[in-house]
Amino acid sequence: MYDDTRYPISAAVLERHGEAWRMIASPGPFWSGAERVQMVAEARAAMHCDLCRRRKEALSPFAVQGSHDTVSDLPAALIDMIHRLRTDPARYTRSVFASVIAAGIPRERYIEAVSVVNASVIVDTMHASLGLPLPELPMPEPGLPTGQPTPDVVEEGAWVPITRVSDRNVSDTGLPGAPNIARSMGSVPAAVELFFTAFRGHYALRDIPLAVSQPQAEFIASRVSALNECFY
Amino acid sequence: MLLRASGQRENRDFNLNAVNEADSDSGVEHSDHLRALTEAAVGSRWEELTSIRAAAAAAMGEQAMVDALTVAAGFNGITRVADATGIPRDPTTQESTVSMRSETGIDDFDYAAKTARYEGRAAAGG
Repeated sequence: MYDDTRYPISAAVLERHGEAWRMIASPGPFWSGAERVQMVAEARAAMHCDLCRRRKEALSPFAVQGSHDTVSDLPAALIDMIHRLRTDPARYTRSVFASVIAAGIPRERYIEAVSVVNASVIVDTMHASLGLPLPELPMPEPGLPTGQPTPDVVEEGAWVPITRVSDRNVSDTGLPGAPNIARSMGSVPAAVELFFTAFRGHYALRDIPLAVSQPQAEFIASRVSALNECFY
Repeated sequence: MLLRASGQRENRDFNLNAVNEADSDSGVEHSDHLRALTEAAVGSRWEELTSIRAAAAAAMGEQAMVDALTVAAGFNGITRVADATGIPRDPTTQESTVSMRSETGIDDFDYAAKTARYEGRAAAGG
């Protein structure tokens, strides 16, 4: 990964992206390594999917029906969710989550898929934005899903239960020590670990260890949030 | 919202409206290049990025250009986590940003507002 580039990419990013790729290929709590790799393949296929293109052009993505250009045998509701999340996050609504649940996919499996897809979005965006070919899909590790101990979560107004926390102190960043975004996938701790393995080298709330200033990083973050219509 | 906090820590007053208004000066150094890099990366406009990267590197330096794209790539993922889990804002953020959210249009991204806007259009044949 990143072998052919002359760009000075942060060592933390290089290391963590490689680790995230290995983690994706391993069995997760609720999906096998092969299924997780299929999710990444499906997210990539979404970028060339004709239905996704027509939905993106429509005033409402929910007004356009059809079949996705798929590359996996994942459940149809999950494929639809992955394609929408990859190509049109700004217009991703609770009904997409509800359709996955209605298809009989438990919310823990949904959360794990969200983590896998979005970890791959980070890796692929980094490559493509530097003009690099996307890394080859990792070779899935054999084995069944691992399961997990019962997580300590609480209902606090999200679509899914989030990690329970006791410390509500707020730092001078204006955020609590455990902001909701870090708690959002708490129903599947391995999903939190995977996603933040991919993300952590990309940002810090203070003293960002990159060659952009903190205000520059916040400007970029704000612009991405606006483009993706991120409420949080 | 963190841009405002960052400005407060540095005793600077950034123009938050500039996040959504390309013609406004944010007060953030090289924000024109940061905007171009971010919009092309998030918009998957890979071919355009070739010249955008070159212009940004000439103005900011290559390391800063790469690191700007590093931040953009990370947020291209993490915003989707928020969008897909429906998490509420942290209470302090919710309380301290009422007027700023209204002024910058961030309230339009509320989950219920997006559902009404996008699914409502579908129901209306949009």
